[in-house]
Amino acid sequence: MIVADVGYVAWRELLKFFRAKTRLLVTVIQPLLWLGLMGNMMEGLVKNPFVERLLGTGSYLAFMTPGVLLMTVLFGGVFAGMSIVWDRRIGYLEKLLAAPISRAAIPLGKMMASAVQGGFQGLLILLIATGLGVRFATGFPGAIFALVVAMTFSLILSGFSLALAARIKSQETLMAVVNFFTMPLMFTSNALFPREAMPGWLATLAQMNPVTHAVTPIRQILLFGWDWGAIWVSLLVIGGLAILMMFVAAQSFLRTTVE
Amino acid sequence: MEAVCVENLVKIYHGGIRAVDGVSFAIDEREIFGFLGPNGAGKSTTIKCIVGLLRPTNGTIRILGVDVGKDPGVAKRSIGYAAQETAVDDHLTGWENLYLQGRFYHLSQEEIRKRGEEVLRLFGLWERRNDLAQTYSGGMLKRLDIACALIHRPRILFLDEPTLGLDVQTRTAIWEYIRKLREEHGMTIFLTTHYMEEADELCDRVAIIDQGKILALDKPGALKAALGGDLITLKFVSTDERLPALLSAIQALPGVRNLRSSPDGIHWIWVEQRGDRLIPELVQLALAHGIQVDSVRLKRPTLDDVYLHYTGREIREAEVSREEHVRARILQRRVRR
Repeated sequence: MIVADVGYVAWRELLKFFRAKTRLLVTVIQPLLWLGLMGNMMEGLVKNPFVERLLGTGSYLAFMTPGVLLMTVLFGGVFAGMSIVWDRRIGYLEKLLAAPISRAAIPLGKMMASAVQGGFQGLLILLIATGLGVRFATGFPGAIFALVVAMTFSLILSGFSLALAARIKSQETLMAVVNFFTMPLMFTSNALFPREAMPGWLATLAQMNPVTHAVTPIRQILLFGWDWGAIWVSLLVIGGLAILMMFVAAQSFLRTTVE
Repeated sequence: MEAVCVENLVKIYHGGIRAVDGVSFAIDEREIFGFLGPNGAGKSTTIKCIVGLLRPTNGTIRILGVDVGKDPGVAKRSIGYAAQETAVDDHLTGWENLYLQGRFYHLSQEEIRKRGEEVLRLFGLWERRNDLAQTYSGGMLKRLDIACALIHRPRILFLDEPTLGLDVQTRTAIWEYIRKLREEHGMTIFLTTHYMEEADELCDRVAIIDQGKILALDKPGALKAALGGDLITLKFVSTDERLPALLSAIQALPGVRNLRSSPDGIHWIWVEQRGDRLIPELVQLALAHGIQVDSVRLKRPTLDDVYLHYTGREIREAEVSREEHVRARILQRRVRR
């Protein structure tokens, strides 16, 4: 039963996601801007052989693609909590809580929807990147693998923001708290900047950052090829965190009332 | 069996506000029961405790004999709940809203299709089912919301302020739907309102609640009667020696409580209730005594009088958080469009 409940909560979110045409358009344009503008802008920098060695590739665009992929998923994921705030405002959350569905299905459904959205956006990014000349060293299976990692990563973010939204009732506060985490997460990771070029303390921070653990395996299989030895720790961290956040989010809704 | 039985319900919010303070009542099956009270009286809190959205601090609630605290799943399936905030998703169509609700109550595709059509036709929304809810008027949204609450055929329907902010036509239509649900489906209906005429028109019994306590609970007629009943003012064309006999005959009529006469020939008759039914009798009685009636006037206490009698005239300014203000504004905008 809980699987069906999760499914219908997710279905509602996805129906709305694919119906919001403007939002869809923006999700296409944004990565296009990132990759097209910033990717090309930085291209000159990579002409430097030293930088090329740091990046591990002669194409900043290829280096950056996993970063943009994760960034999009990151900012998309944190919006999952906003939907709870909105549902609470229009009274829909009460409706869900009054129904005989499993309460855990509410955050889990929204997390699933957020992962599917992330996967869809990720697919667009990979298509755009391909159009700009980026090629996966591991080909098509590698691209699928990248999307799966991105979707798993999205569960961490959406779970986090949903757990917060179970307690934070106002949109502004939730947004502030979430941004407090997302921006530093982004810029203390190796998403846009190689860890090898970071000062020691930042490199240590980046090593502990979940964003880094999501970027590393994708970059590995995009630039170099399958090397499980190099990526298994990161996969374990991401997978473990995703399961943990599913549990935390579900738990935070189990005892929720409308007080 | 009682449809709803609430015993000594207490709800204290974080911060120590006693929203509900020892409320007890029982609702029979097929009854339309109204909760009447000013803002912040504890109406919504009581409803939310019953439908399982809030955990009571104390007391027991039974729905058709099932303890809500012990077996919420079973209780939830036999109740429908439409909140004060028209909880419709604007970005979905009417049908999608209804379909999801059906799925959340674990109905099959087939059941949803059949009952969905039934309730949408009942509420006059069938033709608009494939339009996004954001194109609906306030009244349509409210109807859709109630329709959603009915998809799983609950035995008891809880409506929190079902007509708040709606125009007179829509309000009357919703009253009709509520009556129909009772007549045709034998549903028990619990509603809260602060419109007196709504309670008067619709409810079999009314509880007046203020500051978390039930102050009065009875049939609307009985509540009004308890306040002193109807007052008939009577004037005769001419009076003579036959008048005393007539007056004592009037005083002997059933339901007449008191009679006073002024020196200039005006008579006041206090009646327990239904003074309108007594007037023809009074006229006939006068004629039988050979006395012509000049004029009759009837003043009945309204439920407003009852309400003000119990709750006082003080205006309530409940303290609300900013977030609640935002919600209230959204609600207002939604019903007014």
